[in-house]
Amino acid sequence: MSRFLSLLKTLLINSFGISAIRAKARKNKLEYLKVLGLGAAIAAGVSPTLWLYSKILIDGYDLLAPLEQQGAILLLGIVMVSTMIFFFGIFYVINLFYFARDAQNLLALPLSGWQVLGARFSVVIAYEYLTELPFLLPPLLIFGIKSGASLTYWLYALIGFLLIPLLPLSLATIPTVVIMRFANLGRRKDLFKILGGLMVIALAIGYQFLFQKSGINATDPAFLQNLLTDQYGLVNLISRVFPSTKYLGMALISADKVAGLINLLIFAALSLLAVALAWLVGDKLYFKGLVGSSETAARRKMLTSSDYKRLGKGSPALLSYCMKEIRLLFRVPSYFMNCVLTNLLVPVILIIPFLLQSHNETEAMPWEDLIAQPEGQTILMVVIVGAVIFLAGSNAITATSLSREGKEFFISKYIPLSYQQQLLAKLLSGYIFGTIGAVLLLIGAIVLMPLDITLIGMILAVSLVAIGPITEAGLLIDIFRPKLDWDNEQKAVKQNLNVVFSILFSILLGGAVLYIVVRFIHSPTLAATFMLCCFGLAAVIMYYLLMTRGIEQYRKLEG
Amino acid sequence: MIEIIGVSKSYNRGAVKAVDNVNLTIRDGEIFGFLGPNGAGKTTLIKMITGILNADEGTIKINGKDIRKNPIDAKMQFGFVPDDPNIFARLTGLEYLNFMADMYMVPPENRLDLIQTLLKRFEMGAAAGDLIQSYSHGMKQKIVVIGALLHNPPVWILDEPMTGLDPRSSFDLKEMMREHADAGKTVFFSTHVLDVAEKVCDRLAIINKGRVILFGSMQEIREHLRENQSLENLFLELTENE
Ligand SMILES: Nc1ncnc2c1ncn2[C@@H]1O[C@H](COP(=O)(O)OP(=O)(O)OP(=O)(O)O)[C@@H](O)[C@H]1O
Ligand SMILES: [Mg+2]
Repeated sequence: MSRFLSLLKTLLINSFGISAIRAKARKNKLEYLKVLGLGAAIAAGVSPTLWLYSKILIDGYDLLAPLEQQGAILLLGIVMVSTMIFFFGIFYVINLFYFARDAQNLLALPLSGWQVLGARFSVVIAYEYLTELPFLLPPLLIFGIKSGASLTYWLYALIGFLLIPLLPLSLATIPTVVIMRFANLGRRKDLFKILGGLMVIALAIGYQFLFQKSGINATDPAFLQNLLTDQYGLVNLISRVFPSTKYLGMALISADKVAGLINLLIFAALSLLAVALAWLVGDKLYFKGLVGSSETAARRKMLTSSDYKRLGKGSPALLSYCMKEIRLLFRVPSYFMNCVLTNLLVPVILIIPFLLQSHNETEAMPWEDLIAQPEGQTILMVVIVGAVIFLAGSNAITATSLSREGKEFFISKYIPLSYQQQLLAKLLSGYIFGTIGAVLLLIGAIVLMPLDITLIGMILAVSLVAIGPITEAGLLIDIFRPKLDWDNEQKAVKQNLNVVFSILFSILLGGAVLYIVVRFIHSPTLAATFMLCCFGLAAVIMYYLLMTRGIEQYRKLEG
Repeated sequence: MIEIIGVSKSYNRGAVKAVDNVNLTIRDGEIFGFLGPNGAGKTTLIKMITGILNADEGTIKINGKDIRKNPIDAKMQFGFVPDDPNIFARLTGLEYLNFMADMYMVPPENRLDLIQTLLKRFEMGAAAGDLIQSYSHGMKQKIVVIGALLHNPPVWILDEPMTGLDPRSSFDLKEMMREHADAGKTVFFSTHVLDVAEKVCDRLAIINKGRVILFGSMQEIREHLRENQSLENLFLELTENE
C-alpha cells in the first residue's frame, strides 16, 4: 500500500507540474503570482458563462419550487457532470494510460497492475474534480442556500462531490482497458490504438442514445402529467442518462430524512463497487495492453527504385513543412485523438441524434417553420458559424503547434526556413483542419434541412473567413507561451492551457459578433455581409500581429 | 569558416554563465575539435552558432554571414548534427531525408542519387522505409548525419557525433570528416573523447566552465605537455575542479 501511495504522490506532483512551479518560485517569488494571475484570467474569462448558468439555475429553482420539483436542478448538474466525466474520462484514460510515453516506464518497476492503474486512475480523478467544480458548485450552492439546507445537506454535498467521478470514470476505464488489451496485437500498433480508442467512443455514444431514447414519449399526456405531478418526475427523467445519479439526487433532496442517508449509502456503495471492478479488470489486463505497445512495425526491406521514385521532385519548403505537421498530427496517437478526431467527431455527434429521430418519426423537424423565414435563416447561419468557430478554437491545432514540437523545437530554429514561412505553414495546417470541420458541419446541416444554395454559399463563405482569426489567434497564443518542456506527447495537447485560451478567444470573438447579429440583424444577406466584415477585419488584425509581434517573439524563443 | 567573436551566454537570467567571452576562428579546410568536460558549455556554444540559442553578447559569422543579422543565408552554409538524435520519431527515415532536402532546397535532379548514395554508405538502405521510432540509437544518429549532408554544406557542425556509433560507422564518419576538410571545407565538432580529438583534429580547443583555456594545433598542444605527460593528464589537470 505504501508503494501505491508513493507512486500516486509522484504521479500527482509530476502531472500537475508542481515541482517545476516550485523550482521557478524558489528563484523568483513572483512565479506564484503568475500562477494566481493565470487562474484569475481564466476565471474572468468563464465568469460570464458561469453567471448565465447560475441565472438559469436560479430561475429554474423558482419555477420548479411550486411543483416541489426544485431538486431537479441538482440532478441536472450531477447528470451533466457525470456524462462529461464519462466522455472526458475515455480520452484521459486512453491518453494517460496508454499513449503517454511514460506509461511504458513504470513497467520496469516491481509493481502490480492495480497499483499502476489505480495510481493513474486517481490522477485522472484529481483532474475530474477540477472539471466538476464549475458545473456542480453552482447548483449545489443555489439549492443549499435557497432551501436553507441543514448541515447534513452540506456534508452530503461534499461527500457527493468527491464520489461523483468514481462511477463514470470506472465505466470509462473498463471497456477501454479491455479493448486496448486486444488492440495491443499485431504490428500496426499506433493504428490499432487509434482504432481501439474510436471503438470505445463509439460504444459510449451508443450507450448514451440507448438510455436517452428508452421509454420517453413526449407526446403521451399521461407521461407529461406524471412528469409534472410526481414529486420525482423530473428527477427520474433526468437521471435516466446515468441511473446511479438518482441516488445522490435523492440523498441531497431528502438529506434530513433517513431515506437520504440510505440513498447516499447506496450511491457510495455503487461508486466504490465500480472502482473495485475497474481496478480488478485493470489488474488482470492493463499490463497486457501496455507491454510492447511501443513496438513499431519495421520491415527492414531494401527500398526499391520505385520507392525512391515516389519521393518525386520534392516540394517547396513551406508545403513540405506543412505536410510534416499534418503527418505528425495523424501519426502520433494523442495528437490524432485530441486535435484531428474532435474536429471530425463533433459534427458527427451533433448530427446523429437528429438523424436517428428523423427515421422513426414522420413529423416535421422542429426547425422547418423556422428556416422558411429570413429571421430563421439568419439564426441558422449564426448557429452553424458559431459551431464552426468553436470547433476551430477547440481543435487547438495552431494553439499547440509549437508546443507539440517540444524538445524538437530546436530543429525549427536551425533549418534555413524563415520564421515567417514556418508560421504560415503552421497556419495552413490549422486552416485546413478548420475547413474540414466547417465542411462536415455544413454537410450535416444540408442533410438535415432543406437549405437553398445561396444560404449554403453564404454560410460557407462566412465560415471560411471566420476560421482565419481563430487559427491566427491560436498560433499567436502558442508563440507567446509555448509548452516545450514535456515528457509525453499528450501533455502538449491535453494539459496545455493554450487550448483553453484558444477556446476562450473563439467564444469571445464569435460570441460578440454573433450576439450583434442575433440582436439587431434580420436579413440573412445583411448578416452574412456584417459577419464577413467583422471576421475579415479580425483576420487582418491578427495576421498583422502575427507577422510583426509574432515573428519577433518567435525569433526570441530558444530551443 | 566560422568566426566567433566575444560570445557569451548565461542561463536563468545570469545565474549560470555557460559560455564566457569565447573568441575562435575556425578556418576552411580544417577539422576543429572542441573538447571539454560535461557541462563545459560545448552544446551551448554550438547552439548559438546554429541559431538555436541567441547569444547575450558577441557575433558569430559562418562564411561571413552573421547568424543574427542574416539567419537564412547563414543557416544554408552549414549542416548540423545535434547531440540528441531523437527527432521526428513518427516519420520514416526517407520522409525525414526528403523533408530536410526540401528545407535546404536540394535540387530535384540529384536528390535521389544523393540520398541513395548516402544511405548505402551508412548501410541504412534497408531501414530507410521504416519509422525512425524503430531505429536503434546509432541508426538514428546515422539518419541525422545523412540529413545534414544532403545539401553538401561548406561547414559541418557536429555535437558529439561519435556517441552511440559502432566502430565501423565511427571510422566511416571520421573518414568523411577528413574528406570534407580536405576538399577545403570546414568541420567543427565537439567531443569528450580525447582519443578521437587527438587522432582526427587539425586544431582543437579545450573549454572548461564556459572559457577556452587552451587552443591551437595538435603540434602546439603537444608542446604544452611535459615529459611523459599524456594528453589525458593535461586535460585532467586543466579541467580540475578547484
Ligand atoms: N536549458 C538550460 N537551462 C539552464 N542551464 C543550462 C541549460 N542548458 C545547459 N545549461 C547549463 O549550461 C552549462 C553548459 O552546458 P552545455 O550543455 O553547454 O555543456 P556541454 O559542454 O555540452 O556538456 P556535455 O558534455 O555534458 O554535453 C551547464 O552548466 C548546464 O548546466
Ligand atoms: Mg553537450
